[in-house]
Amino acid sequence: MMSHEKATPMHILSRSLLATLALTLLCSSVALATGAAQTTTAAPASVAQKPEAPSLLLAYGDVDIWDETGQIIKKPAKGEKMTMSDAAAATPDPLEGWNRMWFGFNDKLYFWAMKPVAQGYSAVIPERPRIWVGNFFHNLMFPVRFVSLMLQGKPDAAAVETSRFIGNTAFGLGGFADITADSKPYKPIGSTEKDLGLTFGYWGMDNGMYLVWPFIGPSSARDTVGYAGDYFLTPISYIHPWYWSVATKGYDKINEVSMRIGDYESLKEASVDPYEAVRDAYLRNRYKKIND
Amino acid sequence: MKKFSIVLGTLILTVCLCSTALAGEAQDRLKVGIENVINILADASLKGPAKRDVRQQKLRAVADGFFDWRELSRRAAAEGWKKFTPKQQDDFVASFSELLQKTYVRKLEKYNNEKVEYLGEQIADNQAFLKTQVALKDKTIPINYVMIKHSQWMVYDVVVEGVSLVKNYRTQFAKILSRETPDALILRIKDKIKSLDAGKNVDDVAS
Repeated sequence: MMSHEKATPMHILSRSLLATLALTLLCSSVALATGAAQTTTAAPASVAQKPEAPSLLLAYGDVDIWDETGQIIKKPAKGEKMTMSDAAAATPDPLEGWNRMWFGFNDKLYFWAMKPVAQGYSAVIPERPRIWVGNFFHNLMFPVRFVSLMLQGKPDAAAVETSRFIGNTAFGLGGFADITADSKPYKPIGSTEKDLGLTFGYWGMDNGMYLVWPFIGPSSARDTVGYAGDYFLTPISYIHPWYWSVATKGYDKINEVSMRIGDYESLKEASVDPYEAVRDAYLRNRYKKIND
Repeated sequence: MKKFSIVLGTLILTVCLCSTALAGEAQDRLKVGIENVINILADASLKGPAKRDVRQQKLRAVADGFFDWRELSRRAAAEGWKKFTPKQQDDFVASFSELLQKTYVRKLEKYNNEKVEYLGEQIADNQAFLKTQVALKDKTIPINYVMIKHSQWMVYDVVVEGVSLVKNYRTQFAKILSRETPDALILRIKDKIKSLDAGKNVDDVAS
């Protein structure tokens, strides 16, 4: 009798405790869900330490709160109104006339040769096989990604890349099927889409200067060196005789272009100065990829 | 004890509900805007080249509802903005927003039921940064929106794959304004719109 009387208030107490606990859990899960994207991984400071070249952008009064990736720019000191992405976009372009010439050349190359060929190709080959071909070439570029990730000191990501390569090559019909696309590593490893240019950037190297190459497109002094290194890490470069190597790379390019018809057109349509638009987009996109 | 726990529980619940309501405000505005755009694009009665004008008008009306064109133009013109006369500013906002709407609509016309995922938002004062991603067939594209609240939340910048729309135009405008007058810049934008109108279904716009 005694114990029963005592049990009732205890029961209420424990029930209310449970309810509070449940509410706290609910709140924290909601907070986690809404705030999940806010927690950022360790990344380089988003404010350029010493913006060297006096730029038009510097004189602009409005301080942004976030950089391009959503990281809060912490208390920019006087004169530090550029994000790291702005600093990358302010890469000097001393050879502008020369670069504009090759930009024009590549533009014509695209509209007169690559686009019609890619359109004809995509009219004959449906989208799905083209994705398979894309997978195959992507899988084949594994050495570039592996070496870059190792040089960036990311053995975890390199290991994941390796298992994807083995899985896709052995069980994905030599890489045509991307069977490992849905298998996520048990802890996040960041993007594995790396090349040597991005690796040099990760080490802290600047772009040097902006460059446009015929056939290759927008680049920079840093990325040009990286591109040369990537050449030796690309298995297709070793196909013999050389013209088969070039033809294979050309086919890879056409296949890629066939998946992206319209992208360059809309960028060009939307811009008042296409050369500047592409330059800015290239430099900012490369900067983002370094930190992905 | 019972009373206390009820009060505590209610308090926590209130705080919890309030914070989620606040956190979702900007995102809800963006979501509604994007959903309206998707609805127009998915509307079977508005499909086909014959309905192009109606469709574009509707899309423009929706975009006007959640894009702050003035804020966007001001930031894109950057320091050039202060050199504009009030009339030039209005002219610039009108023509630049028309160019953006025209090219934005063209991009959207290629929309093919891709799914938009909302990955979270950050708010500081009257500005918000929202992360989303769009899944294409062979890759996902990260698209971030920056919003500002004057009377209500409006988008003033879109960051696609690390490339900010406002800053991309800022580079171009700064280049032109370093050599030409504000009127020449506005004229260039208007010419661009004209050439877009002239070659409506042509992909290749002559440089």
